[in-house]
Amino acid sequence: MHSHSVDEERWDRQKTRDSFARFAVASQRKAASELPDLEFDQLRNELVVAHLNLVRYLAIKFANRGEALEDLIQVGTMGLLKAIDRFDLERGVEFTTYATPTIVGEIKRYFRDKGWAVKVPRRLQELNLSVNRAIEKLAIKLGRSPTIPELAEHLHATEEEILEAQELGQAYNLLSLDTEVSGDGERKSQTLADYIGTTDAGLTLLEDKANLERAFEVLSGRERVILYLRFYENVSQTEIAKRLNVSQMHVSRLQQKALEKLKNVLQE
Amino acid sequence: MHERTAGTVELRIPCRAEWVAVARLAVAAVAHRLNFSIEDIEDIKLAVAEACTNCILHATGSQQIEITCETHEDGLTVHVRDFGSGAAVENIRSAVHAEPQVGGLGVFLIRSLMDSVNYDVDPKRGTSLVMTKKVYD
Repeated sequence: MHSHSVDEERWDRQKTRDSFARFAVASQRKAASELPDLEFDQLRNELVVAHLNLVRYLAIKFANRGEALEDLIQVGTMGLLKAIDRFDLERGVEFTTYATPTIVGEIKRYFRDKGWAVKVPRRLQELNLSVNRAIEKLAIKLGRSPTIPELAEHLHATEEEILEAQELGQAYNLLSLDTEVSGDGERKSQTLADYIGTTDAGLTLLEDKANLERAFEVLSGRERVILYLRFYENVSQTEIAKRLNVSQMHVSRLQQKALEKLKNVLQE
Repeated sequence: MHERTAGTVELRIPCRAEWVAVARLAVAAVAHRLNFSIEDIEDIKLAVAEACTNCILHATGSQQIEITCETHEDGLTVHVRDFGSGAAVENIRSAVHAEPQVGGLGVFLIRSLMDSVNYDVDPKRGTSLVMTKKVYD
């Protein structure tokens, strides 16, 4: 469409108007006779073909939402057909003006039918979790904090998705206490709040975990890596030494120091 | 849930395609704070990207694009303004009324994504595209 000159555009529009004028006549004739009408079918096909570029242009705009472009073009073409059948030259608007909302509407309905409103927050949430895991993994591998492009490559996502997953994904993890978790119409549906009993050992553990996470902030990057490998991944000191290219004695000292730091913070 | 309060967030980006993603993300973050659904947020991002692309394609001589988000109780208004020469006004007019070129199609696309789209013409500051989306919850 970029390559079209203004003259070509004008000519295209005139041609489109002529086609629609002939199509309107054919439509009326078809409605009156209720017989198959060759010219009607042919004009309709021509109009569809002439506007496939518009469908494609619009479908591409929605292609980053996780559905195949071919499918979007297909449903967009359904929208185009509807627009062709309903378009009225007398209204004095360009066909593209008229067809755009119809095509977009059809594409958006397709996403809704696919349960997209549920799937996307879930994907963001999952991406948010995997981003956090990938940060740790890459930090160990690279010996420094990874960059956004590195994370994107590692997770086969776009850089924008990574940023968004970090920003928005977190929010979707925080389920409201009033979120209904079950409900079959007869029994009163239950919310998450209903599941919370009295003092729960799990909650205390959660608190410990939060404290520990805060305490971890006092450690240097290398100390964190060592504790992570030693206690989460169960890697031996000798192996850690090899990976960090230092002596096993050094790892032992660093681990000792890190544990003491943690103990001091947690006792405060 | 975030509380919806009136506020303004302003952002200026270079008038170049590689910065559009920054505008998309910033506006998405604002929309998110207004509790828009994920579908609405995607639509708003697409509309803002289209408006920025319009500026890049049509605003001759503009160095910057200014994106202003106004949050209000029932939704979000986004102004996308460039500081191009007066020709920008003509470009938008023609895009709306007659010439369905790519920029023009962008405006139609924005119209089908947002609740309202208007032009705010200020002889001193240039023309901005003003779009509003309501939040339902």
